[in-house]
Amino acid sequence: MRNLLNFLLKYSSWFVFAFYVVLSCTLLFQRNPYQHHVFLTSAGVVASGINQMSSNVTGYFALRGINDDLQRQTAQLQKEVLDLRAQVRRYRELQLQDSLRTIDSVSTFNFIIANAISNSISRPYNYITLNKGSLDGIRPEMGVMDQNGVVGVVNVVSDHYSRVISMLNPNFRLSCKLRGTETPGSLVWDGIDPTRAMLEELPKQTRFHKGDTVVTSGFSSVFPEGIPVGVVEYRARGNDDNFFTLRVRLLSDFTSLSTVKVISNTALAEIRSVETDPETSSGN
Amino acid sequence: MAKEIIRFLILFVVLTVAQAVVFNHLCLFNVAVPLVFIYFIIKLPVNLSVNWTMTVSFLLGLTVDIFSNTQGVNALACTVLAAVRLPLLRLYFPREDDMANPDPSLQTLGPGVYMKYLVTMVTAYCTLFFLIEAFTFHLWLLMLARIVASSLLTFVILLAFDSITAKIR
Repeated sequence: MRNLLNFLLKYSSWFVFAFYVVLSCTLLFQRNPYQHHVFLTSAGVVASGINQMSSNVTGYFALRGINDDLQRQTAQLQKEVLDLRAQVRRYRELQLQDSLRTIDSVSTFNFIIANAISNSISRPYNYITLNKGSLDGIRPEMGVMDQNGVVGVVNVVSDHYSRVISMLNPNFRLSCKLRGTETPGSLVWDGIDPTRAMLEELPKQTRFHKGDTVVTSGFSSVFPEGIPVGVVEYRARGNDDNFFTLRVRLLSDFTSLSTVKVISNTALAEIRSVETDPETSSGN
Repeated sequence: MAKEIIRFLILFVVLTVAQAVVFNHLCLFNVAVPLVFIYFIIKLPVNLSVNWTMTVSFLLGLTVDIFSNTQGVNALACTVLAAVRLPLLRLYFPREDDMANPDPSLQTLGPGVYMKYLVTMVTAYCTLFFLIEAFTFHLWLLMLARIVASSLLTFVILLAFDSITAKIR
């Protein structure tokens, strides 16, 4: 017994060593990570607490890199969004063109689908830029409308882009009438409210009701007859005995303009030639 | 005695936290990983019994394992390192009873012996660690590079530790 104890004491360090080696090896050969005791992993309370504290500090060091990454990612996503948007726009153009084809055959008016790529509503003279130009068949003095109503008239055309005089521009006067009547008036923006315009020079005898629809008269050859423009709100100040003025709420939403139709009148050249004919012009 | 225990306890905590928070996240050129916590084993007094040395070393390895999610690797390597520490030291410094101070340091051992002791301990630990961690030899070239680079890096950092602690005293 004494010998045994002596032996154990003498070689105790070997036993201790073997004990620890076996203990570490049991840990080491627990290959299945799901069997690890939670306290022996970095998910334990102490380890995770210290790691949390350190990441609270060191997290800031990486922010610049993370920020760069995010910027790059954002740029890429933005590019993708723009690509997809362009695709959607293209499909919408195709769809609208398809749905409008039946009208094309019966009238002299053709529609060119375009997109407003820039638009202002807050300046005194507002213009819209479209992504279609002379190569797409757009010419100056073509009318532009969106799904709700009249938007403006083409003013300057380049190969691929065109500028439109918005209806929110005092330079733009549109010959209009109340639906159901034949007496024309002139619609003009007074520069105050981008949702409202004035219908001027209506003959005194015109009857109107609040809520009547204002449509194009068709006298201008720019717009076909009957395109809705706005809704009568009330009678504004009358500064002339023979004519009166109506306040009109515009149907087109100029704050969210996207896909528009450019109206090309195939008979326009003919009409022009007739109008500029010396005989007819002298007859005017 | 109690003062010594507290001193080593503080060293234990500081080294494990430093390893967990700072050095575990360092990996130079994908090969050099500093394993600085073995400074604790290197600094244990030589007159401490082998059993105690192995016990605290095992606990140290286990603690570092917990932080670095290497279950058992450091514990095993630390135990083995603690076991071979005194025989290693005897290679360079035959009579440890002659030491004025039981703490192995630049002053007590002399620069030459201490450097040799340090290099041997660090290299031994890095070899043990990467051998146990890899456990297969099919990437032996990368493992060799890791052992050499990590030993070098750890050695340099431990020298820096030594100069800092020497200044503090």
